[in-house]
Amino acid sequence: MYNDEFEKYYEEQLIQGGTTCCPGCGGPLFWKLALKTLGKNTIVYGDGPCAMCALRSIKIPHYAIHFSFIADGATGISAALRAKGRNDVTLVSSGGDGASSDISFGKISAAAERNENMIQICIDNEAYMNTGIQKSGLTPYGAWTTTTPTGKESNKKDIPMIVAAHKVPYVATASVAYPQDLARKLEKAKSIDGFKYIHTVIPCPTGWRFDPAKAVEVTRLGVDTWVNPLYEVEAGVLKVNRKAEAKPVQEYLGAQGRFRRLSKDQIAYVQGEVDKKRDDLLANDAKKIIH
Amino acid sequence: MSFTRMMEGNEAAAWGAKLARADVVPAYPITPQTELISNIASLIADGTMKTEYIKVEGEHTAMAAAVGASAAGARVFTASSSQGIAFMDEPLWIPPGRRLPIVMCMVNRSMAPLGGLRPDHNDSMHQRDKGWILLYCENSQEVLDTILQAYKIAENPEIYLPVGVCYDGYFVSATATPTTVPDQAKVDEWLPPYKHEWYDLMPDSYKMPPPKSFLKQRIGVAEAHQKAKKVIEAVDVDYKKHFGRGYGGLIEEYNCDGAEAVLVTMDSMTGTAKDVIDEMRADGKTIGLIKLKCFRPFPTEKFREIAPKYNAIGVVDRNNSFGSAGGGIVAVELARALYDLSERPVIANFHVGLSGTDVTMNQIRYMADETLEAAKKGKVKQVVDWVETHDLGEVM
Repeated sequence: MYNDEFEKYYEEQLIQGGTTCCPGCGGPLFWKLALKTLGKNTIVYGDGPCAMCALRSIKIPHYAIHFSFIADGATGISAALRAKGRNDVTLVSSGGDGASSDISFGKISAAAERNENMIQICIDNEAYMNTGIQKSGLTPYGAWTTTTPTGKESNKKDIPMIVAAHKVPYVATASVAYPQDLARKLEKAKSIDGFKYIHTVIPCPTGWRFDPAKAVEVTRLGVDTWVNPLYEVEAGVLKVNRKAEAKPVQEYLGAQGRFRRLSKDQIAYVQGEVDKKRDDLLANDAKKIIH
Repeated sequence: MSFTRMMEGNEAAAWGAKLARADVVPAYPITPQTELISNIASLIADGTMKTEYIKVEGEHTAMAAAVGASAAGARVFTASSSQGIAFMDEPLWIPPGRRLPIVMCMVNRSMAPLGGLRPDHNDSMHQRDKGWILLYCENSQEVLDTILQAYKIAENPEIYLPVGVCYDGYFVSATATPTTVPDQAKVDEWLPPYKHEWYDLMPDSYKMPPPKSFLKQRIGVAEAHQKAKKVIEAVDVDYKKHFGRGYGGLIEEYNCDGAEAVLVTMDSMTGTAKDVIDEMRADGKTIGLIKLKCFRPFPTEKFREIAPKYNAIGVVDRNNSFGSAGGGIVAVELARALYDLSERPVIANFHVGLSGTDVTMNQIRYMADETLEAAKKGKVKQVVDWVETHDLGEVM
């Protein structure tokens, strides 16, 4: 049945329907939510992970090269905007987890050091999913990928805190499972001059091995178990955004096939790491952590 | 106001970028390019130049930022050398395919290992297959003038290709020669502000070229190179009309009338070679000189037109192409260019000046004599002659 309301809804979105992303991918969901907040007067530079499939469908200016080019082209666009006196345009630079933590890690660090006026977003699906699920610097401990068939042996890099240590004006973690929090953070990032960094772990049913229908549910569990806690660091002050009592990590790990091989000891290790991180965040809540 | 004074190549290049009103300069320092960007920093600091100078963290980012800025409507200038250009290899592929008219100085320096800091041409010639136009300069004045010409060529909507303005480190970059800096208003009149007809990244006027197939994109670059030959010549003629200086466009023929053989040189060694050719001509030797200014696009038609006049062409290659079909990069290119001619000269080939060793008058005389001998005999002694392995009675 033809539905006019449905057409109207799609016209209002800044991302077209029918992307080539997998069912349950967090990429299109993230961009739909993000662009609603960022608005039409925005330029997006860069790739996501396979979320670039989503980026190809956005209805605002978008320019990308490869995933070894993160924040750099945006630096050039930012300079061109200054040269043209266009301080009204919001500039977003996007990168996936492999780009942000591995091949373009230095580029994000350098753009942060120069305090480039852009919102740098890391769309983290925790592996090189586009090439067929290979381990990246943001793949979590214990996760199966095609290059870590017995599970990753080392921990995930803490990129948000590494970026925060550059003394940039704003760093936040956000989740598509908490859209209001995500919108508020993007709104805030948009209002601040200089380098802003948003880190969002998005679900990848294909690489994480779970039913696509449970994408948001699994992502929410990531936050609620404190595996992927929500916080922000503004002008060096930490604010923990969601302080609900932690669910056991087993609920999150058990929902995904990629953690299937984890032993009880390994799960206990993950729980211990998460507990330490949570205690640390709560102990420093509302305190200046970057001086 | 126009003024003339002694100026090193790197300072002349900075003035070129200033006169072109480059909006954005993303750059990372490397010897011997360094004085170019520090000169730009000084011109900005004293208020002479208005540009967004981005002090990037590496050459890969320098070229990527150049791509972003150029697509966003800014006129972009950058520069590098040697290992820096190699580190830029991945992003250097982007501007030709995306048809972005970036101008970059390639201040020639030999490649590792054991390359040291002094020049040969492998760092810029390494870019020959990517789609960059590559122009080589002999002295400071030519560097400044070529940068202005480069923007005019690159920003021609028929062309839209990036241009590398190449010159030898030290011999040009750090050697002061008399240089005239033209009046800014006169340059503004000749070089209009940059506006790309295909791209606009601004949200209120956004446009992007429609996606092309890989094949069409590649054919587009190839066709632009073919068209560029005429444009490069026309821009040089027009520049000469406005500023009184021209460089022959694709090549410069020097003392070629009645010559039975010619040497082909590039870059700074050309000045020395011109003096040697003058002396040899005075001694009755029928040798001339061709300065190859434009290496990409290779001036095939031009060479095919003039080659039948000579019995031998001696190509001086300040580069290596190991395991090539025979000799240095220019010699191999020239051989292909002339292959279809029914009457064609013998091609002698010399490696000299590698890793910035001096190219002496004796060496040029030796190469000219060898070429003349090849012209008489109708054949060369060897495919490529490593000139520095001969004792020419010089203390090096």
